[in-house]
Formats: sequence, structure tokens, C-alpha cells
Amino acid sequence: MGLLLRQLRNTLLGLFVLAAAVLLVFGPRRSTRPPAGRVVVTYWEKWTGTEGAQMQQIVDEFNNTVGREKGIYVQYLSVSNVDRKTLVATAAGVPPDVAGLWDAQIAQFAAMDALEPLDEMARACGITSDYYKPVYWKACTYEGRLWGLISTPWAVALHYNKRIFQEKAEAIRKAGGDPSRPPRTIEELDRYAEALDERDEMGRLKVAGYLPLEPGWFMVHTPFWFGASIYDEHSQRFTLTDQRVIQAFQWLRSYSERLGPKSMTDFRAGAGGFSGTLNPFLAGTLVMEQQGPWMANYIEEQRPSMNRWKMFKDLKRNEKLAAERKLSVEERRANYEWGAAPFPPSDPAYAGATFAGFDVLVIPAGSKHKKEAFEFIAYVNRQEVMEKICSLHCKNSCLTKVSDEFRNHHPNPYIEVFENLVSSPNARAIPPCPIWPEVVDEMNSTIQNIYLLNATTEEALREAQERLQQKLEKFKERQAQRRRALADARR
Amino acid sequence: MRAAELRQLGKGMAFISPWLIGFIVFTLLPVAMSLYYSFTDFALLKGPLPVGLDNYRELMWEPHPRGRFGDPHFWNSLKNTFYYAAMALPAGMLVSLGLALLLNVRLFGQAVYRTIIFLPSLVPAVASAMLWMWLFNSKLGLINAALMSLGVKDPPGWLSDPRWAMPALAFMSLWGVGHTVVIYLAGLQDVPTELYEAAEIDGAGRWRRLWHVTLPMISPVIFFNLIMAIIGTLQVFAVPMIMTGGGPARATQFYTMYLYDNAFSYLKMGYASAMAWIQLLIILALTAVAFWSSRHWVHYQGK
Amino acid sequence: MNGAQSKQAVGGAPREAPLRRPSLLRRIWSAEHWMVHLALLCISVGFLMPFVWMLLTSVKTIEQAMKFPPEIVPRPFVPENYVTVLTHPKMHFLLFARNTLIIAVLSVLGTTLSSSLVAYGFARIKFRGRGVLFAIMLATMMIPFPVTMVSLFRIFRWLGDNGLGQWLGTYKPLWVPAWFGSAFNIFLLRQFFMTIPEELSEAARIDGCSEFGIYWRIILPLSRPALAVVALFTFMWAWNDFLGPLVYIQDQDQYTLSLGLQTFQSMHGGTEYHLLMAASVLVILPVIVLFFLTQKTFIQGIATTGMKG
Repeated sequence: MGLLLRQLRNTLLGLFVLAAAVLLVFGPRRSTRPPAGRVVVTYWEKWTGTEGAQMQQIVDEFNNTVGREKGIYVQYLSVSNVDRKTLVATAAGVPPDVAGLWDAQIAQFAAMDALEPLDEMARACGITSDYYKPVYWKACTYEGRLWGLISTPWAVALHYNKRIFQEKAEAIRKAGGDPSRPPRTIEELDRYAEALDERDEMGRLKVAGYLPLEPGWFMVHTPFWFGASIYDEHSQRFTLTDQRVIQAFQWLRSYSERLGPKSMTDFRAGAGGFSGTLNPFLAGTLVMEQQGPWMANYIEEQRPSMNRWKMFKDLKRNEKLAAERKLSVEERRANYEWGAAPFPPSDPAYAGATFAGFDVLVIPAGSKHKKEAFEFIAYVNRQEVMEKICSLHCKNSCLTKVSDEFRNHHPNPYIEVFENLVSSPNARAIPPCPIWPEVVDEMNSTIQNIYLLNATTEEALREAQERLQQKLEKFKERQAQRRRALADARR
Repeated sequence: MRAAELRQLGKGMAFISPWLIGFIVFTLLPVAMSLYYSFTDFALLKGPLPVGLDNYRELMWEPHPRGRFGDPHFWNSLKNTFYYAAMALPAGMLVSLGLALLLNVRLFGQAVYRTIIFLPSLVPAVASAMLWMWLFNSKLGLINAALMSLGVKDPPGWLSDPRWAMPALAFMSLWGVGHTVVIYLAGLQDVPTELYEAAEIDGAGRWRRLWHVTLPMISPVIFFNLIMAIIGTLQVFAVPMIMTGGGPARATQFYTMYLYDNAFSYLKMGYASAMAWIQLLIILALTAVAFWSSRHWVHYQGK
Repeated sequence: MNGAQSKQAVGGAPREAPLRRPSLLRRIWSAEHWMVHLALLCISVGFLMPFVWMLLTSVKTIEQAMKFPPEIVPRPFVPENYVTVLTHPKMHFLLFARNTLIIAVLSVLGTTLSSSLVAYGFARIKFRGRGVLFAIMLATMMIPFPVTMVSLFRIFRWLGDNGLGQWLGTYKPLWVPAWFGSAFNIFLLRQFFMTIPEELSEAARIDGCSEFGIYWRIILPLSRPALAVVALFTFMWAWNDFLGPLVYIQDQDQYTLSLGLQTFQSMHGGTEYHLLMAASVLVILPVIVLFFLTQKTFIQGIATTGMKG
């Protein structure tokens, strides 16, 4: 018996080793193979899934047109943590030729000399500052030079569930609101939120009217709707102790004070998070949230019934888009269970406030194919291509010129809301701070301290202010030291 | 040196040359370089800029308002690491020793039990972290479901609660004691039976046998495991990075995590090198203390 | 070091044999026996629970996985999750498995060869300064990785910039150092080599065998269990390694399984737990299978190398 077991074991072991050998010799090597004879431009991008496939479409179109003409092949690679990976790869001397980063990286990477400046190449293509809407162009520059061009821009607005508004019309009216329209000031938002909260038998939060934590991606920019920002670029100082900033985070904290921090975190732990069918906004457990224009796409994918409230219930996506072409924008909107509107500011003077963010294409320093890389970036920035990818990704446009086709037949019937927001003077982009990752980490833990009620808002912000300002001063001092050392070395 | 000695030296060096070369290139040189970097401001994209003791100053003694000194995240991560060690180290040592003693008793199915206990230590850190993240989920996880079914009305938020996150991580570390248990088992095999027999003749019961025979005999193994545990616990990185990312509110930001962030997110490599050297010195100090104390409680069989 | 005595210690021979041997029946029915059984049973269930839960979650739908209170039986039973994971666009499982395998195999070969070579030098050749160098080697085990992390990065970049071969962006930083010996394995093997009687070496020397000959033809064949342990330990360590790949691998096409598994952790929240658990099972499986198949060698090897000293 022992002998049999041993033979069995040896056979299995042999099979195991054989499987490993097969995998080694015949296993997959790379995910894609570029054709021979063309300059290969490696393009690292954050998008996966549908969004990734849509960008891949644009890449394929480039490869078949301009790419074929000029002998360029763009290789699209979907990379997680693309910002950190690109930074380390650049530091390692093996960067990708094009990287698709977030707006937040421009100041940091530029200040570290991790990027190639694009001014000359852009000018040669006719891309100048009036090509983009002002808020976007400014955010692509740092210290007067251009460091990246946008792939897809977006902005943040209030998304609300019209159906639930109707169902809870009584409660909303009792709170002094109007269920036929979204709240127009922050104070109104709070009243709507409280009226719409629901609890279960155990007293836990079942439905939330509004939760600043959900999705919680833009919390650091909350002061925008209070007329302020956490950083002032002209004086290069953080403004965390500005009255309006304190007011903004105090507002954020008020939800925690009202609901209790544990019930908020429990709600989030049990919610599905953004990309599942259990996304609370889609599931109806969150009535209002701060989101971007891509919601129309996500809802279409994950819960299409929300986009077919009154009509087209059995139509597939393409058929519905075709049918919608015959409708006016108002009629399209009426068919959507949800709506988008400007996120209410604290004061009408700040009307049109929004966070204008974007995804950006940069050329890391040390890229071996800068000219070819820029060919691709310029291609993406052609109006027709930009509008195409923005349409596919369901985002607004950053260009000054926007075609009627884009405005009227965008998959998101509320796109006009976003277009208006990013054209308004109160729209703000990410503050151009060179130590942004440290700012984010610091602000994240500060905000957590605030909504976990560990410290008062003022205390937490004051400490963050001191720390961040000191870090920034040190950073600038070191930069100055370096410049002096470089100048000395030259003499 | 005499000719024979020289020949032996030559032979010896030849055999250990791979290690020697590797030691110089992959250990000695980098350690020396990192010492140098700790006195510079270095972002890898440009050359290092000497700044003297500034990194250490910024870390430990730079004065700030309200009587604070140094980088609060540095002190916080150090405190977190020690807090974790204070829980995980004793618990780990006791549990692994206890398990080894239990597994040493001759039983039916002993091999099965041993395998089960050892299995979790084979699991990669990433998979283990994700699994326990799921188990600790405050709303949907198995642990809270079990607690609620036992009547606990409001179970803790575990990884999203600053007070419970660290204890949760320490508890989870017990799952992986398998390899330590195996080392104890090997040590327990080596205890000579004569000693047990002699003790039994003298009338010693089970507990006295444990205390006076078993433990002293395996004290070298305990010592070895203690050193390994100190070194390991102070370098914990992968599991909390994946499970909590340092949150909530930096309650689980371990020393190595903050170091890694400084090196690869902020590209402050000089600062990170200073942190690394401080970590090295702490480990050396603790190991030295352990070695010094070993004189009092470690008995070598001496062959 | 009594290696011969330890060699008997496979699978746990009793070391607490009492003077009078009660009959087998008497032993089985003793209270102590059952108490230990009970304790071990409870503990084992605790240790196994997470695995069981992982397996169960891996064959559920996301809706059922996210149900509260949790349901034990998967209904519907979805083994297709495994297919989804293997063909998932985000995680090229087979590609990552191959990458990990390459690094692991190269590490195992390098470690086993070089560590045994060096251990032989420390164990079987008396030379001046041997003790000091051995102590230094042990001390290197205390150096935390972060101390060398940044400098190694810089060294590798320097090698690439100066035409001495591109290291960053390849797997070299992960397996080449293994070919220069690993302190832990050198220690293990040295302890083992020291248990082999000197007479064998003496006899071979008298016969005119070179030192390397003794190493290759006498010591190595006798050390199969210890070498197997080194190989297995190294394979498992390389398979599970996370920090190394995290620091040195940026290109997603080169990811190892550990890095790949992490990509399942969605940045936007809403991790697909059922797929994540299935992927985890797939990543853990090879190591566990290997362990079961080599269990005896493993335990025997650990016992024989001994940890005292």
C-alpha cells in the first residue's frame, strides 16, 4: 500500500513538473504583439474594461491611419496605479513613451523634471491656449510651460434620483423643498438629505439621502463650493485655515455628527462600491451623490432600466440611442429616472462652481520616441477624435469649440449641464501644487479625522496647514539649493 | 601564515566566493550607499544633494508648534509598529509554542493536524490579505456575522475603526504561525528522552516536566524564533498595505509602509534612506538586548 | 549536533514515553488524549475556516457573496467564476503564472547551487576568519530590505545607463541575487553538512579527491533531504514574493501572480469578491499541491537540519 501511494505521489509530482515545464515553454509572453517595421510607442493607461476597450478603439484607429502613414504603432497597456508606476519607471530610466495620468500628476511630475515639455510640439500643431476652455488649459500648465494634453475631461455635478423624489414627495415638501427639482443651495441639500434618510429595524442606515463619503472621490475639493480652495498658487500657500475652507469641512462633518460615523462606514462597507450592480446610487440606497458625466454610461451598463423610465423599456443600448435621436433633450431627460444638476454652492455668488478634472496624456522624461508619442497625443486632440472618445467615455469636452452633434446627441442627455459648468468662471481645476501626493495623503487622514470625530474641524485643519506648508517650504528650499548647486557647478 | 593555512584559506574563500561577492555588491555597497543617501536629498531623477543631518532632523527632532518634534507620521508609524509588535509578538510566541506542544503529543491524526496548522503559512501575503479583508468586512464579513449570531449587537468596524484595526491585524498574524510551529517541533524532537524519564522517576508531573525539562531544553529554539520574530514584526509591510493602506486615519500605517511611500510615491529617497537606517539601528538594538538577556535563560546542550 | 538521532524524528516519534507502557487501549482512552484532541480539533477548524470560506465564496455569484447574513451554501453554484478569472482582461492569469514560474525556477536553481557551495565552505573547510565571516553572514539576516531597496534601485539603474546590461524593467533584480547565496539557506545547509562524518571527507582526500570533488560527489548526494527543503522553501518564497516585484516590476506584461492578484482590488471600491477569491484559490493551489506531494521530504529535511545552534 505504501508503495502504491509513493508511486501515485511520484506520478503526480511528475505531472506537476510537466505542467510547469509546458507553461514555461508554451505559455503566453505578451498581451499584444506590435507589427514589424514601425516605431513602437508604448502607452500606459489607467483604463480597463469598457473604458479601456474604448480607448483601444481610438488607438487602433490611429494605428490604421496616421500610424500607418508615419510608421508609428501605439501599444496600449492597461496599468494599475499608473501614476506611481510611471514615476518609478521614469526614475528607473525605462518609462513608457506616453502615459495616461490624472490631472493631479502634472504639477508634481513637472516640478520633478519627470516630464517632457510640450509647448513647441503643440504650437507646431496649432494647439494654443485658446484651443481649450480656460480652466482646462491652465491646469495643463505649470510654471508657464505646457506639460500634457487632455485625453478626456470631466466635471462634477449633483446626481439625484427623480423617482425617489416623487415617492418621497411628502417628506421633501415637509422639509421645505420641491420634489420636482433638485436642491439649489447646500443648506437645501442638507434638508433634502435628512428627509430622504431611511433606517432598518436595527436602526442602521438603509437608505441615505446624501453621503459626502459616497463616492468620496472629491472630498478634498469640497471648499470649491464654498468659494475657496485649499491652496493658493499665487502666494504658494495653503489656505486650510481660511474661514470658508473650515466652513466647507465643517459641512462635511455635519453628516457624521448627524448620522454617527460608524453608521456611515458600515453603510459603505455593505454597499457595493462604484463599479458593481450594488452601487448604492443604482441600487436606490443613495438618493443623491456627487458624480461625473460618466454616470450615464455606468447606469446604462449596470442598471439600464434607470435610463428607460417611461419609454424604450425593451430596447438595447444602440437602438435606444438611435430612437433618442428623434427626441428633444427635454424629452430624453424625462425618460431618465435620474437627473444631473449643478452641485449646490453655499452661496449664490459661487454659482457654477465645480471641480473640473481630467485625464491627461504626458510624455515622461527619457522617453525614447518623443516625436512619435506626440503624434498620437495630437491625434487624440483633434476635435473629431476628442469628441468621439469623450462621447464613448460619456464625458464633456475641453475644447472651446463644441459641435452641435456632440451637444445634442451625446449619450448623456444632461451633458449640457456639464458643458455649462466647465465654461463658468467659478469652475476650478486641481491646485497646481508640486507636493500633491503628500497633500492628498495628509488631507485624506485629516478628513478621516474630521468625519470620525477624532478632532474638531479647526484643529485638524490647522495641524494639516502647518504640516503641509512646512513641507512645501522645504521642497522649495531644496529646489533653490539645487539650482544654486547647478549654477555653481557650471562656473 | 603558514603555507598549509594559506592553502586552506584559498580553498575556503573559493567556496564562499559567491556569497562574498554577493555580500559586497548586494549588501555592503547598498548599505553604505543608503547611509550616504540618508544625508542627502535625492529624487533619483537628478543627482543627490547633500543636506547633512537635515533628514534625521526632520524625522526626529525638528521643533514644531505645540511642543511637537520631528515628523508626526514617522512617530506615528513607529508607535503603530511597536503597538502591533507588543500584541503580535507575545501572542505569536505563546500560540506557536503551545501548538507545537500540543502537536508533539502522539495522537491519531497527528500528521493531519500538523498539515492544517502549517497550510496557512504557505499562502501568499496578497491572497491572505484579501481573504482576511473579506472576513473582517464590518457589514458582510463572516467574523461579524458569527459575532452577531452569538448575540453581539454592535460588532466592531474592524478595519474601518481606528481602535480595532490594529488588533485585527495582530489577530490575523496568528493564522500564519505554521512555520514557527514546525521549527519548534524540530526542536522538541531533539529533547533526549532520558531527561523525561529521570524527571518522572523523581515524581514530576506534566506541568513540572514542561517547565523544568522541555522549556530549558528548547530554549535555543525559542531564542532563534524570538530573534526571527523581532526582525519580521518590525518589517511588516505587504499585508497591511493591501488590507488598509495605512488607514483609517493612519492607524495602521506601519513603519515600512511610510518608508515605502516616501521612497516611491513622493520620491524622497534620501528621507526614506534615513528612515531605513533608523529601522536598522532599532532592530540591532533589540537583537542585542535579546542576546544579552539570553545568557540568563538560554541553555545550550553543548555537544 | 546529533544528526543521526534527529534523523529518526520523522512524523513525530514520541519523546514523552513513560516508564511503564500502558496498553494502547489505555492510552487512547486517557482523558489527556481526548483533551488534546479536542483542543487541536477546535484550533484546526479555526485554521481551516478561512480556506473553506474562500472556496465557498469563489463559487458564488457576487449578489450572494454580498448577502448579509452570509449564506453558506452557494446557490447557484458558479464554477464558471474560475473560467472568468482565467480569461479576465485585467488579470492575464497564465501570463502572470508563467512570469512567476520563470523567476521561481531561476531562483531555486541559483539558491540551491550557490548556497550549498558556500555552506560547504563554511562547514567542511577550516580556514582563518571562517567564524567571523559566518557571523557577518548571519548578521546580514537582520538587515531590513528597505535599507538596501533604494540603493539597489540606483545601482541597477547605473548598470543600465552605463551599458552593463539593463536590469530595471527585467526580472534580473529578482533572481540574480539568488545565485550569490541566501543567508538563511546557507545557514540551514551548513548545519546539515556539519552532521556528515569527517571520516568520509578524510577518506576521499586520501584518495586524491579535490575539495570540489568531495563536495560534488559525496556531500551533495548525501544531502538530498536538506537540498530539497532549500529548493522547496525557495520556490514557495519566490512564488509568494510581493515586495520584490512591487519595487522592480512596473510593466503590467511582466507582473507576477502576487502583483496581478492585487489588481483585482479595485481602486474605486466594490471589489468583486467572488472573482477575487477564485483568483486567490488559483494562486494558492500550486503551492499547496506541491507541499502535499513533498510533505515527507519537507518535514524530514527540517528535522535533520535542526535549528539549535
